[in-house]
Amino acid sequence: MRGIGKTGDRTAPVATVFRRELATVLRTPGYGVLALGLFVVLGGTLAVGGGGRTGFVPAVVDLLSVTEVVVPLAAFVVGYRALLVDAESGELAVIRTYPVSVAGYVAGVVLARTLAFLAIVVVPYALIGGVVWATAAPDTGIFATHSGVDSPLLYLRFLGLLVPFGAAYLSLATAVSAVASSRRGAVAIAVLALVAGVLGGDLALLRSLASGTPPSAIPGLLASAPNGAFRGLVFEGVIGVSFAPAGEFVDVGRAVGALLGWTVGGLVVSTMSLAYGDRIGVLFEGVRARLPSP
Amino acid sequence: MTDDPIAELSDVARTYGGVAVLEDVSLSVPPGVTAVIGPNGSGKSTLLGVLAGAVEPTDGGARYVGPDADRPIGYLPQRVPFREEFTARETLAFYARLAGGDPDDALARVGLSDAADRRVGALSGGMRRLLGIAQATVGDPPLVVLDEPTSGLDPGMRERAFGTAVDASGTDTAVVVSSHDLDLVDRHADRVAILDRGRVAAAGLRERLCSERGVGDVAGLYRAVVAGDAPDARSDDTDGDEPSAVHVTGVSER
Repeated sequence: MRGIGKTGDRTAPVATVFRRELATVLRTPGYGVLALGLFVVLGGTLAVGGGGRTGFVPAVVDLLSVTEVVVPLAAFVVGYRALLVDAESGELAVIRTYPVSVAGYVAGVVLARTLAFLAIVVVPYALIGGVVWATAAPDTGIFATHSGVDSPLLYLRFLGLLVPFGAAYLSLATAVSAVASSRRGAVAIAVLALVAGVLGGDLALLRSLASGTPPSAIPGLLASAPNGAFRGLVFEGVIGVSFAPAGEFVDVGRAVGALLGWTVGGLVVSTMSLAYGDRIGVLFEGVRARLPSP
Repeated sequence: MTDDPIAELSDVARTYGGVAVLEDVSLSVPPGVTAVIGPNGSGKSTLLGVLAGAVEPTDGGARYVGPDADRPIGYLPQRVPFREEFTARETLAFYARLAGGDPDDALARVGLSDAADRRVGALSGGMRRLLGIAQATVGDPPLVVLDEPTSGLDPGMRERAFGTAVDASGTDTAVVVSSHDLDLVDRHADRVAILDRGRVAAAGLRERLCSERGVGDVAGLYRAVVAGDAPDARSDDTDGDEPSAVHVTGVSER
């Protein structure tokens, strides 16, 4: 943050919070380790699945299940303390005496964390794509997206889909950081949210089918949870391009809407929690005061 | 110096887990230095938090009634909260960008220019507090609220920190500071508010409170009001001839 330097002018509060948060992230070596670990996991998964020579779409197939776990995990690692740090230290109370709104503060923190998250996640995936590019069979170099042909563009689509998927989880992680009152509490809530997010949607879908929901409803139901929406979009836009599917994997509009909804929902919870959390605490105190003492 | 208030607390109460920490506190804060003193657990930090907007009261409210300002209230909590990986200059630069001002000027004001490039984590406790005071005055807020800025410091640093805080006050600026250092309060405070078990036990101009209770200094005043050593330990300051700048509801009810 040396670049901030001496300033007499006032810049947008969101940009100011963003720069401070980004500077904090850049000075956290753990995030570099996280990116390296992610690259090792992805590389190991690719190697077990036959290596880069199998092509881009087979690589995506190999990486998909792992991605559904590691991307939410990385999002929670990056975001679970994003808003808690200042609240826990007391600096948020100081920041709130400055002309920056709660929404502006949350926006600045989340934007910086999102940028960091994308660097942590997309760079390892891009490197894996580079490995596939370097080692795959010659026909994977064809820049085409039509049926039956492998292509780097399909892998780029996969990378593109990581962004809304990761953003949804990062937003949820940020909400956890806003709701939690301590680091330990944040870890506990984050683990619960992670397990619920990764497994909850599929388990709910299975339960729904077991209770008589017709299979034709699967594309719509699958799209509701972040993992189902992401998986469905990958099948629709990447894997399914390589063959002629019998039907739709997912309701695309609903899947996109769901990922957007989870993202916006997390941000709303974060902002509301910081803006009105104290008042809710006061309401509880009021209720407690009205209860007869034991 | 005018007696028009910069901020007012009206019938403020705050409970935590059903336990009352503040009860029925009304206080107006005019320009100058107002020291909030009282035993541990008397509600000083909560009172200052309510005044700064950092603590939501369960009843009553705080109101800023001072001049228009982009940053009306500056606040330093009891625990200096800055991120340790940033330098002193970076820390103040962040705040200066939000409220306007020059971080180097703010550092110079508290005598920390030589430590500008030191990480917050490497600053001594006293230097951190000075940095906190510098932060609280960024943007020249008309009301500066400092929660125990001298806590845990050696005598020299206490004097320096308190003096720096006092320097922030002026004809249109109020500084509210809590402290256990009664000598410093005696030397620097214009007004004193004494908290005892969540209520304002006495408040008003320091000299007049001392005179009313027949004590020579704030330490004597504290003993008289909190320990009840003086015969008129709980008299209402508003009964005096001179209209008080600090109106205390809770006092007359005790």
